[in-house]
This record gives sequence, C-alpha cells and structure tokens, in this order.
Amino acid sequence: MAEERKPRKTATEAAAKVPKMVKANMMANLKAKEEGKPVAYSFIVNAYDEILRAMDVAPAWVESYSGVCAAKRDADRFLGKAESENFSRSLCTYATCGLGFDIWRKELNGEMPPDAPWGGLAKPDIILGSGQMLCDPRYKWPQAAQHYLQDVPAYVGGFYWPPFDRNLDHKEVEEYYVKYAVKGLRGAIAFIEKHTQKRMDWDKLEELVDLVDRTWNIFIEAYELRKAIPSPMDTGDAMNTMVPLAFMLGTQEAYEFYKDLYDELKRKNEKKEGVAANEEYRLLWGAGLPSWFALSDFQYFNAKGAVFPVERTYREAELISRLELPKMSDPLEHIARRWIRYWTHWYDRARHRPGSIPEVERLIEYIGDYKIDGVVFHQAFSCRTWHSGIILQAQILKKVYGEIPVLILEGDIVDISTYNEADTHHRIDAFIEAMGTAKSKR
Amino acid sequence: MRGLALADGYYRDYGCRAKELKGEGKRIMGYFSALTPVEIISAAGFIPVRMKGNVNEPITKADAYMETIVCPFVRNAFDSALKGRFDFLDGIVIPHTCDSFSRTYDIWTYNLQVPYSHFLNIPHLTDDPSLEFFKEVLATFIKTLERVTGIKISEKCLVDEVKTYNKNREAMRQLYGLRRSDPPLISGVEMTKVLAAAMSLPSDESTDLISQVIEEVKRREKTPGEKSARIMIVADQIDDIALVEIIEKAGGQMVMDETSIGSKVYWSDVEVTQKPIDGIAEHYLRKIEFPTIYRDTGTTYQDNLEARFGHIRQLVKDFKINGVILFIYRYCDPYGFEVPATKYYVESLGIPVLYLEDEYSTSTLARLKTRIEAFLEMIG
Repeated sequence: MAEERKPRKTATEAAAKVPKMVKANMMANLKAKEEGKPVAYSFIVNAYDEILRAMDVAPAWVESYSGVCAAKRDADRFLGKAESENFSRSLCTYATCGLGFDIWRKELNGEMPPDAPWGGLAKPDIILGSGQMLCDPRYKWPQAAQHYLQDVPAYVGGFYWPPFDRNLDHKEVEEYYVKYAVKGLRGAIAFIEKHTQKRMDWDKLEELVDLVDRTWNIFIEAYELRKAIPSPMDTGDAMNTMVPLAFMLGTQEAYEFYKDLYDELKRKNEKKEGVAANEEYRLLWGAGLPSWFALSDFQYFNAKGAVFPVERTYREAELISRLELPKMSDPLEHIARRWIRYWTHWYDRARHRPGSIPEVERLIEYIGDYKIDGVVFHQAFSCRTWHSGIILQAQILKKVYGEIPVLILEGDIVDISTYNEADTHHRIDAFIEAMGTAKSKR
Repeated sequence: MRGLALADGYYRDYGCRAKELKGEGKRIMGYFSALTPVEIISAAGFIPVRMKGNVNEPITKADAYMETIVCPFVRNAFDSALKGRFDFLDGIVIPHTCDSFSRTYDIWTYNLQVPYSHFLNIPHLTDDPSLEFFKEVLATFIKTLERVTGIKISEKCLVDEVKTYNKNREAMRQLYGLRRSDPPLISGVEMTKVLAAAMSLPSDESTDLISQVIEEVKRREKTPGEKSARIMIVADQIDDIALVEIIEKAGGQMVMDETSIGSKVYWSDVEVTQKPIDGIAEHYLRKIEFPTIYRDTGTTYQDNLEARFGHIRQLVKDFKINGVILFIYRYCDPYGFEVPATKYYVESLGIPVLYLEDEYSTSTLARLKTRIEAFLEMIG
C-alpha cells in the first residue's frame, strides 16, 4: 500500500497549484471515458499535442500516471505485476508500471486495480506511439501494452531529427526529416479519424499551433526570470511546473499557467525573494529525470544554501524566435519544423567548438546565463535514453569549459528499491563541501 | 588451415584477418547489427567487420566512460575497443537500432577517435513514408562515405556488392540446411564459430570459408545417435560459444538460431533493383525481422503477432524444433518488451520456451546452467 507522506513544500504558488492540475488532468481521461469521448494513451514530447486537442481526443498520459504512482510510493505492486509477466525490472519503469496496471486491469476483466491512485487510468480507445530518437519505449511500450489491450488499435508515427554529426551539417538533411515527420503527423490524424468519430478541425489546429508557440515563449520567458540572484524558483518546483508544458500543451490553461508563473517570479524578483534563505551555491540540474518519490531532496539542497535556478530536464521548449522558423502555411509542417529545430538548436555551437557536443553546449549556455557553481546529474537505472551519456557530458564539460564541481546521483524514476536517502544526503553533503572549496579557491 | 579449423582460428582471434588486411593497406570499417547495409560499406572500398565483445573478459575500462545501465553487449564491445582490439579500424558505423546505440554514439566516437564515424538513422517503422525516408538516410550515408574517400560510389558497384553478399547469404543458408537432419551435420558450437568468423571477413573470403565448411561437414557420416532435444535460440548477438556449449553439453542440440549474427543476417537476399538503393532499403527495413522495427498490419493483434513472429513458426517447422531458449540481455528494451508476446506466440505453437535474462559475460552463465538442464530434461 501507499506510504502516507506529507505534501512537499514548494517555493512558488504556481508549483503548489500543480498537484491539483495533475489530478484534474488525470481525472479528465476518466471523465472523458464516462462521457463517451475517445481516450488515447499518449506519451509526452511525441508532437501529437495540438492534434489531440484539435480533434477533441482526451490524452491519458501513461508516463505521468507512473510518476504519480511513484510519488505516492505506490508503484511497486504494479512493477511486481509486470515482472510476473516476465517484463524485466531493468526495463523503463514508467513503462513497466503502466504495463503492470494494464495487466492487472485485464485480470480483473476491465475493472480498475484496487485503490488505484487517483482512480486509475481510463481504458484507451486508441494508443499513440512514436518511432523517434527520444526513446525505445515510445514504440515498444504501445506494442507491449497491446498484448493486454488487444482490441485497442495502436498507431506509431515516425518523427526523427537529424543526429549530430561533426562531418555533416544537419541543415543539409533537415528537409527530408521535416517531410517524413509531417507524413507521420498526417498518418496520426488519419488513424484517429478512422478509429474515432472525430474529424480534424484544421482551423482549430492552426489556432492551437499558434497557442503552443506562445506557450513555449512564455514558458521560456518565465523560466529565464530564474536567472535573478537570489533565484525565485528552483528545479524542485520546476518538476511540478513542467506539468502544463509536458501534459497540457495546446490548452489555454497551460498558457495562462506560465503567464501567472511569469508574473509571480517577476514579483518575487522585485522583492528579492529567493528559494533558499541564504543562497550560497547556484546549481544546474544537468540531466536526468528525478526520483519522483524523493523530490524532497531538492529541499535538502536548499537547506544547505544550494538552489537550482535551471535544469535541462523537462525544458523541452525554446523561444520561437531563436529557432528561426521560416514562414509556413501547413500547421503540420510548423509542428514538425518547430520540434526538429528545437532538437538541433545547439548543433551549430557544438560544431564550432572542437571536442564539444550539443548537450554540453546547452549546459555551457546555462552555466553562463544562470551563474552556475556546480552541476548535478541524476542517473536513473531503468531509463537509458536520458541517462546514458551523462559521464561523457561531464567529461566533455570539464575539457571544453573547465573545472566545475559535478555530482552524479544514482537512483530511479519509479522504482524505490534502489534509493537510499541517507546515502544520497551524504553525497550531497560532500558535494556542497567540494563546491565550498572550489568557490574559496576562486 | 581450411574449413572448421580455419573458422575456429578466426573465431578465437577475432579480427585477425582484418588486421592482416589492414597491414596490406586495406581500409576496415567496424559496424554493428544485422541492420547495417554492408553492401554500401564495401562499395565505398572498406572491408566491413562486425563489432563484438569478449564474454570471457570482464569489463575493466568501459565503466569509466559508459554508464552501466547500457546494454551489456554494447558495454563489453566498447571495453574491447578501449583495450585496443579494434585498433585497425578506419571508421565505425553505428545504426539507430536501440537507445543503447543511439545514446552511446557520441561516447564511441569521442573515445575511439576513428577517422570516420556515422550514425545511421534507421527508422523503426516499415510503412511507405519510412521506406522513402530510409532511402534518403542511405543516400546521406553514401554521401558521407564519398566525402571521406573522395571516390564516387557508382550504382554498378552497389549492384556488384549486392550480388556478392547474396552469394554469401546463399552459402550460409546451405550450411544451415545441413542442420535440418537429425542429428544435424554440424553442431551448434561449430556453427556459432562459423557465424562469428564469417562476419569478420571480406565477403568473398567469408563465402569461401562457408563453402569449405559445407564440403567438410557433408563428408561426415550420418550417425543415428541418441535422439535429443532440438533447440532454437532466439536472441540478439550471441557471438560466443559459451551458452551453446552449456546447451549441447547438457544433451541438447542447438540446431537453429534466430539471432542477429545468424539467420536474421542470412535468411533473405537483397533484391537486385534498377536503383540498387531501392532493393537495399527494402531488405534492411522490411525483410529482416528485428524487434527494433515496429510492424503493424492495421488489422488484428493476432495478425500483428504473425507479422512479427511468423518466421519463427516456419523455422520451428523446418528445423523440427522441440524447445526455444529466449535469451535477453539485461537493459535491452527492444527485446525485453517483447518477451511476453514472443513467449506467448511460440508456446501457442506447442513449443516450450525457456526465458533467460543475463549479462554478456560467462561469469554469470553458471547460474543459468541448472535452468537449461532442467528445461532440456523437461522436453526430453
């Protein structure tokens, strides 16, 4: 059973609003199901946001649900269920937690597993996956889920971006990547139209594409207010405030949320209100998804005078003007090009700095802009995509940028069995000490 | 040395022939996976050599550079590379098959510093837009090879390579055919050595080696022997005899594989098409059954299962399989997510399945021995 925990304190009012939003978001798919509206299992950053909203299909975010189970420390029974079906514990635990849920529901002939956090997930009418660069579970998980949801059709569209290649300018190949991604999106629309009663409202889609552009802009503008010293918000809160960007993109509510956040951070900056009582160290969360069951570790950092004014994680957006998008009349091309330009945004800088890679260029940009003293990475054992290459980033950072204290924490996103709070805190203490030494030398 | 003895030599000193050829001024390209089009590498004037690790050697260097959550095969091969086993490489091609490759490409290129490297962005889908996209990806691959060599890759040259590799595939299929008899004319251990040796050689030498082995084993007398379980292994890259030895020492006969160095590579030919890139793209995207390629018939789940695993049904029938060992490396998402479906499909054919998850290392194999023995005893 879930372990009863006190809610984590947040620094911003905006972050405090998020749990209710997440719950409402989760309940929305259950409500949609009740009302006979189509529900789609979906995964974030698959670029279907505007399409789903324009076609009035309710997304059921399976990753988010696993995160909720983890935050409530109630994921283990679902992981165990998946393991009993021979899904290895070393697979993505977002996926295996979700699969455990589906297996259990199938065993109960469609009933929700007992005491499912927040009422559970609605049975989907369709599953939307994506073949792309981000991670394998985006196309393997839908396939695996279908084993337990055999009457639910699945669609996997192709949405790739050019890999970084020092010997090849990505702009040489961008066009065929965009063309392919547009076909993938068009395929998704055809699939949804075939399997639901919904039809694409192209005018609405255009409006939503514009809304997403504006949401990306206000999101970045709000987050860049965290450059202030002291910083008004840190990564602990950002792991909440990412919710509208990741799970509610294409809704007015998401836009309004970041507008409110912008106003709140501005007010805090005017009053010089910081996250930590005594801001001594400014840290960058360099890579890695957090342990959702241990977000209070950010407060442990804060208590030591360390704040995270910036993070790489869940910052899947950039100011639209920085992406230099050409004029486009096709909203699907706009979606495709926006994402592809985002993923390749740091390529040119990496190509121009010998020995560098785009991920490190992004870190260097943040280190400079946010006046960073140290970098923290988190390595989750069950997720290869965000957590392989962290050692390399740390090595290249040292080589092309210079000495900066780095801490690599280890754990998982959902599986609590590998987490040791005392050990984690000892490592944080040692890191803070190392930063103190580094700072005094400077 | 000829035939099996020669294969044994190439297997034991993996890459030795490539090293010799490098000494003669040839250029060598390392590559991973059955999904990398070797025809293109050869047409560019490189000798393609499939990368492998060493299951007998512990990882001692790689962990300082590559996370331990990466596929153990990839880590072990990287460890071998760091230890200088592949110092003869002029380049490396890493295909986009799984996260363990796509997320470590930079680690490989940064640490190996080979003159040429390429990440081949293979899509995970087989529909028409994906095929068209894949052709563009292959055209880019060709362009980068032409830039590094300064030599244009002609269509004629590609066609010649397609024909050469088709001969190689045909020869290997003939050898596989000699495993259909009961008992098979070639053991699983011997076959594994031939498969490993074949992927380390230029195509003509590889074909020649396979032909020698065919000639040699055909001369063997067919002995009735005691009937024992005919096993097929379903796995990714099993490039060492250790696991097969356990099976065969326990009384089983490893008569077929569905692995990425075995039947996946050799079971179908590349069609010679007017534009050679069309046949190559079609082959690597649609004809090779691979868990990193998503297949959907657009009809029922059962149809999808047939599309994904139907070839296994055929192999089970053709090679009279009594049991399947499904062997998955830890941290392998593409194979790992398929385990329940694969097991369900094979068991629905009336064939028992033993599912094993392990490292790419002999250090952990001992614990599997008892399970394999019990499985073989069960199927009799």
